[in-house]
Amino acid sequence: MSGNGVSRRDFLQAVGLGGTTIALAGCGHTSIESGAELVESYVQPENFVVPGVGVFYASTCTQCASACGIMGRVREGRILKLEGNPESAISGGKICGLGQAAVQGHYSPDRLTTPLLRDRGSLRPTSWEQAMVLLNANMLEDDTHGRRVWLTGPTSGHQQVLLRNLVEAGAATDHLVYDPLSTAVESAVNRKLYGVDSPVGLIEKAGLILSFGDDFLGAGGSPVAAARQYARFRRQKPRGVLVQIEPKMTLTGANADRWIAIAPGTEGVFALGVARELLQRKDFTGNLSPALIAAIEPYTPAEVSRITGVYGELIPRLAAMLWERSPSLVLVGRYPQGHAHGSRNTAAIALLNVVLQNQGKTLMRAADLPFPQLAPTNGDFKSLADLNQSMAAGHCRSLLMHGTNPVYSAPDFMQFAANLKKVAFKAAWVTEVDETANECDLVLPLLSPLEDFGTHVASNQFDGTEISIQQPLMEKLYPETRSFGDVLLDMLRAVKPDSYKAFPDYYAYLKSAVINAKAAFPSEASGEEFWENALSAGVLRRSTPLLPLPAKEFTAEMIEQPLGSAEDAEYPLHLVPAVSPSMRDGRPANLSWLQESPDPLTTIVWDSWAELHPSTAKALQVREGDVLIIKSAHGFIQAKAYLMPGIHPGSVAVPIGQGHSAYGRYATNVGANPLKILDPIFDQQTGELALYATRVAITKTDQSERIAKDEGATDLQQGVKLVATLAADQVDLTKETPFVIR
Amino acid sequence: MGGVNLHKTRKILRVLDGACRTLRIAAVFAVVALGAVAGAQAAQAPVPAATAAAAPSAATSNAIAPGAPSPPTLSAPPATYQPGGNYQWHEPMQQGGAIGSQTIDGYYALGPVVTQPIEFPHYIHVEQNQIDCLYCHTSARRSAVSGIPRLSKCAGCHENIESVKDKPRIKLLLDYWDKKQAIPWKKVHDLPDFVRFSHERHIQRFIFQEDRPTREVCGYCHGDVGTMTTARRVKAISMGWCIDCHEKDHKLSAVSDETSKGPNDCWQCHK
Amino acid sequence: MSFDNLTANWSKLRIKRPKIDQYKEAPYKWAMVIDLDACTGCNACTTACYAENNLPVVGKDRFLAGHQMHWIRIERYWGEGSKHTHEFPEKGAQFLPMMCQQCEAAPCEIVCPVGATHHTPDGLNSQVYNRCVGSRYCSANCPYKVRYFNWYNYPETSWPNPLEQQLNPDVTVRTKGVMEKCTFCVQRLNDAKSKARTEGRTVRDGEVLTACAQACPSSAIHFGNLADPSSTVAKMWMAQQVELADFPQKKDEQREQDEKLAKNDAVVRGYRIFEDLRTFPSVVYLERIRSSEV
Repeated sequence: MSGNGVSRRDFLQAVGLGGTTIALAGCGHTSIESGAELVESYVQPENFVVPGVGVFYASTCTQCASACGIMGRVREGRILKLEGNPESAISGGKICGLGQAAVQGHYSPDRLTTPLLRDRGSLRPTSWEQAMVLLNANMLEDDTHGRRVWLTGPTSGHQQVLLRNLVEAGAATDHLVYDPLSTAVESAVNRKLYGVDSPVGLIEKAGLILSFGDDFLGAGGSPVAAARQYARFRRQKPRGVLVQIEPKMTLTGANADRWIAIAPGTEGVFALGVARELLQRKDFTGNLSPALIAAIEPYTPAEVSRITGVYGELIPRLAAMLWERSPSLVLVGRYPQGHAHGSRNTAAIALLNVVLQNQGKTLMRAADLPFPQLAPTNGDFKSLADLNQSMAAGHCRSLLMHGTNPVYSAPDFMQFAANLKKVAFKAAWVTEVDETANECDLVLPLLSPLEDFGTHVASNQFDGTEISIQQPLMEKLYPETRSFGDVLLDMLRAVKPDSYKAFPDYYAYLKSAVINAKAAFPSEASGEEFWENALSAGVLRRSTPLLPLPAKEFTAEMIEQPLGSAEDAEYPLHLVPAVSPSMRDGRPANLSWLQESPDPLTTIVWDSWAELHPSTAKALQVREGDVLIIKSAHGFIQAKAYLMPGIHPGSVAVPIGQGHSAYGRYATNVGANPLKILDPIFDQQTGELALYATRVAITKTDQSERIAKDEGATDLQQGVKLVATLAADQVDLTKETPFVIR
Repeated sequence: MGGVNLHKTRKILRVLDGACRTLRIAAVFAVVALGAVAGAQAAQAPVPAATAAAAPSAATSNAIAPGAPSPPTLSAPPATYQPGGNYQWHEPMQQGGAIGSQTIDGYYALGPVVTQPIEFPHYIHVEQNQIDCLYCHTSARRSAVSGIPRLSKCAGCHENIESVKDKPRIKLLLDYWDKKQAIPWKKVHDLPDFVRFSHERHIQRFIFQEDRPTREVCGYCHGDVGTMTTARRVKAISMGWCIDCHEKDHKLSAVSDETSKGPNDCWQCHK
Repeated sequence: MSFDNLTANWSKLRIKRPKIDQYKEAPYKWAMVIDLDACTGCNACTTACYAENNLPVVGKDRFLAGHQMHWIRIERYWGEGSKHTHEFPEKGAQFLPMMCQQCEAAPCEIVCPVGATHHTPDGLNSQVYNRCVGSRYCSANCPYKVRYFNWYNYPETSWPNPLEQQLNPDVTVRTKGVMEKCTFCVQRLNDAKSKARTEGRTVRDGEVLTACAQACPSSAIHFGNLADPSSTVAKMWMAQQVELADFPQKKDEQREQDEKLAKNDAVVRGYRIFEDLRTFPSVVYLERIRSSEV
């Protein structure tokens, strides 16, 4: 806005609102300025740069592990907004809210702009030279002094390759991958059953999807790609039907044709009940071992209903629909995995897919990547537990961290921060100082993902195989920030100077690697052209067809279920730490757009809350806004109550992602972190942390506050036709105008 | 319309309408305090309702509003200069423009004189060397902004023109080129941030569709930059001034008799 | 606009709006179709709108005061539950993306004391920030409550450096005292129209999209030119038998008269919100579908 000029309004105020003067005042009087600003002046720009017209550059979003292709609108040399990249088979030109907010992370006012070194207790600015000296000194030693560990979030692509090379070269003892929201239980079960970590569930081909808490539209593995699949799923003839069964409603559950509340941890029992019904069908054409059939036999509808709380008549009806609407698809989310019997819970659900014979129809395997070293590593909890044990015993000498915030996300019972103090040297790479960086000896400033190069491979790919290319969308904002890839290369050069001397920087390394990979992709371009095309398209694609999934034999032990959870007088409620699409594991909490983006189900902003079913709230005499203390055996948090009909009455749900103590101006001291108070319960088969097994008690404080939410005083339509719902048999979607669903 | 007697107001404006535009603006300037000029401090003087007393006087094009700063001494135009140059105008410049523009002995700029990093002589490039405006300001035909030529374009010629290579201004230019540093040109016609103005639409309509000469079309809003050194604002470039032109019925193209006005939809220009 | 123009065109400016076939000869009439069955409630559109249109983040306290600024919002309603169980929302939640409906007979346009809001020739309801003096009569009149007032001077606080680098230069950054609302991304429309005009044609279907339509992962928001009969949006409006200038719609009249027709008519998903208020909105919503078998 022009500050110096007379604004029209000022002028009008000065002259009073006389009619004629309004008409005349337009002439001669102007708020044009001269000499106050500079013109866009270029030295030698690319031919396609026209001042005043935006240029779109392709890149990859790194807000979650979906590796969606994006393109950034760049004007006057700065990135303004991100869109989806139509060339990407994952995003298809679409983008989610989390992806949009990546620009805010890039322009964040709290960006770390210089390396920090702990000096006499507090972190003070230092130089990169000093930092590299320290890094190499602390990492290039022999093993006898203790572990030298790289701890990162989920990785893929060439960044992962360089990390592995560091371990191989002896510049680190191991590379651990930690994901606070890990689905390692499901991966382990899949590996046992099918030999692959992540089979592809073809949502768009399923006639009926039975999802056990899989939030594929919201906080799942690849929400944009899944939403595109979902759009086609709904447009099938006959229209796809979605049934969601979970303890607390997710975004996907909100879109279900039928949402079913179930007691936490009893999902496997329900699955076995449905399997039993299917086995009894006269037209059942499966081949299960007698031991397995005997193991399933006890799960009658009455028994299942007693254990799960779901009413019995539903089970035969659901079984019938699953069979009739073949091919169906049964999906597993985080809820069933997060228990002491999580593996068995998940296996029982996976059994349904076998019984329904979905392999080869809706459950497939992605073709092997020609470059297995680029394939994603999803991360688990066990890595952190293993590391924590080492640290506690004093066996960990150096710890370098990237893309992870364990001081925030590790439960209190682990005492991770305390154990961290026993590590002689700890460093973290961040774009913004967070809780973990605050505990480190050395904190290094990263380029934002919009300023950096990289390659990424997503684990959930519905259509062919894609390697997503990340390229800078503008010059770096701060001179002292560096690319993580560059640092890794520097560290590698310190150990193995000859192997990496051909690559002055990460860009050169990536370019050479991509050009070397040319043979695997259908292209007639020369090496240089291939690289340019890759940058311009933002993806390298292979349209490989999906492959069938072999199924190994289930054993009865795999699906053994506990018969409901014991009543606990001291901690009567189940804690459900809910994953929201925009907050995920807490990393995006510092982005103000996402804080202001209402949670789709509760419409609450800028806060945490404790979701209670109205009947539970009534029993506890809790009203909306009452500040509650939620206490487990290992800690307590405070949150305001919110009455939510979409939750099992025996549970209280608190969203994950808030409760930061040091993470920029927008996230610090907002809400509460439920991960802190989790009980030390682990899946018996894999050792993964059971996220949904914690029991809590609620006590009221005498405080009550208004909740900042977007919904009005009522969530009813009150007789007005706002959102109307039709029954599926009333509509013939094929008669509607066809349009391309990208 | 806020209780104003529409009928009476229309009659008053008809009177003013009869006067030529320059003079009407002169009348307004005569009653409005000067602070409105050049985006300086807010005008606070009350404005009496314009009456028939503001009849056109014999104000000449040399009259400037009382209290204006005296025009700065500018670099002298070339000796061969004549008012309007040797150029055949489609619409003579004297009838357009605001007070103080297009005088014989230099320019009385409406805006402040903007000192540029290099005192670029448009008259050498345009008058002498007959370079078309669009050759340098290439984006005008395809973007909202007309653009300053990229430094490589200036260097492209001047690296090879030996005769002027040692002139002080050229030395400055080549210095920037050697350092590959963009020249920090200042914006002279800086519309407020809430205005959307598209050069593309105006260039496409007047130059390409109506086939008018480039230098003249640019001159409608920027004055005859071809006879200036660095550009300076010589037109009002206010909303009313733009609207006046948008209300003219121009031919749609050089070969058509159909006419149309410019858009007067608020959202065309207000962002 | 001069008085001459105003008075000469008085009759045209004060026509009863809208007329049937009002946009038949017009090159553009922008409209939307929103498929509530495809909308998952993910809020990608709302964040995209923030990014595109320089929307200020107001923070918790001002949100509590009801001063949120989201031009498009996702409203969440609960469906009716089954009587067997504990009153769970067994049909899920109902999501409604709501933004300025660009009404043809907008209740906001006629009450502005200074004329800051009008109807543009291409069918949008315009909001001119310069002219607005902040009477807020327009938002009082809007039945959809999609007009948002700048109660505070957000440029002071909402974009601490360097967040202001993200601002879209094609959209004004509003200061205190002006009303704002969804513009159907008029800056994109203007750009597209200009480009097309230079090439001597009109904008093609799908060439320009609003930010929300472009972001939506499940393709729930369709945007296009209703005056172009070959555009997807025009075809959808026609297939859904919704006429811009009609109330009541002929299909609704027929359904009332003939019960049998109502049951068999498979393609009546399209409706407009608050149609009985005769605002004649430019957005058609397609009813959400849920299977009744489960």
